[in-house]
Amino acid sequence: MTDTTERTFTLPDLGEGLVEATVLEWLAAPGDEIARNAPLVELETTKSAVEIPSPHGGTIVRLHAAEGEVVQVGAPLVTFAVEAPAGDGRTGAQSGIVGRVPTEDEPPRRRGRLRPPQE
Amino acid sequence: MDQVFPAEVPIRCMVEGDPAAAGGAPPVLLLHGFGSNHEMNWVRAGWPAALEGRATIAPDLRGHGGSGKPHDDDAYTPERIAEDVVHVLDAVGADRVDVLAYSMGSRNAWELALRHPHRVRRLVLAGFGPRDPFAGADLYALERDDSPFGRLYRVAATLPGNDMEALAACARGQASRPFTPEPVPGAPMLFAAGERDAVAEDVEELAERCGTQVVRIPKRDHATAVSARALKEAVRDFLAVEAPAGSGGA
Repeated sequence: MTDTTERTFTLPDLGEGLVEATVLEWLAAPGDEIARNAPLVELETTKSAVEIPSPHGGTIVRLHAAEGEVVQVGAPLVTFAVEAPAGDGRTGAQSGIVGRVPTEDEPPRRRGRLRPPQE
Repeated sequence: MDQVFPAEVPIRCMVEGDPAAAGGAPPVLLLHGFGSNHEMNWVRAGWPAALEGRATIAPDLRGHGGSGKPHDDDAYTPERIAEDVVHVLDAVGADRVDVLAYSMGSRNAWELALRHPHRVRRLVLAGFGPRDPFAGADLYALERDDSPFGRLYRVAATLPGNDMEALAACARGQASRPFTPEPVPGAPMLFAAGERDAVAEDVEELAERCGTQVVRIPKRDHATAVSARALKEAVRDFLAVEAPAGSGGA
């Protein structure tokens, strides 16, 4: 009875002024469990081939682009189901892509910027 | 960790693990292709994870990345590049390595294996073939050359940090020593290339002369084979083979 929450990972800025990339090959499929940092997808930019590691540990819910499809930076790439931080206890190992592992209070509990003014 | 090894032409090199450690599989030396660098060719393509458990030594070849960039053609012959590599291997205490090389890196890995056979245990030459990669190119006017190599040069021109004068000199230096398939290095070799890789045309012919195999990566070309899972699996398998019992032991 673990709470899960969906996280959509968008195509990150790959540097060098690139604005898009083509999906070469998915290294995981919907339904697969994937560990954080495990190989997720190979992309082709105009300059090189890049392997993107998974930014989350969790289950792949859906892929937003087929192999051969062009994806713009910032567009959805893949959605994960990840363990929601249960209450304020232990957090999952989710983090932003590339770089530092966030501190405990950093992962968004819910992305509730537009919380309606209720209660 | 990136280090810079000082020399007349300083060589920047990423070193992971302990290349001087005795026992176990030797470190893997990674040699990138023309116009690229170790970061783009290997790190971004997912090779550190693919080679997990092995020490790795990944230099930027002279003229590339964070290494020195002389502008004279003679600085870029395969023998000069092989000497840079040996200098780095000496500096990190790696007596003997497995080599994984791509494209122009493969041309120079071949040179390294011929000149320093005792330093190379096994050799994977990827994105490489016996044909002249500079065929039809005007190496003195690459900025407007329309051959396949000229186009590759102009892609390299868009990468930050590349010194196009140095890269043109590199092309001419490499071209001054055309590849010949004789003699063949003694180390066990594996060839690998995308099935649509024009640079690796006729690599099957070369592999046959060398008495070895080619792994073709389905649906990939010269730019995209380097990150392929199929390539990583083939390399891991080929480089995992134990040295024959008793060899090199003391």
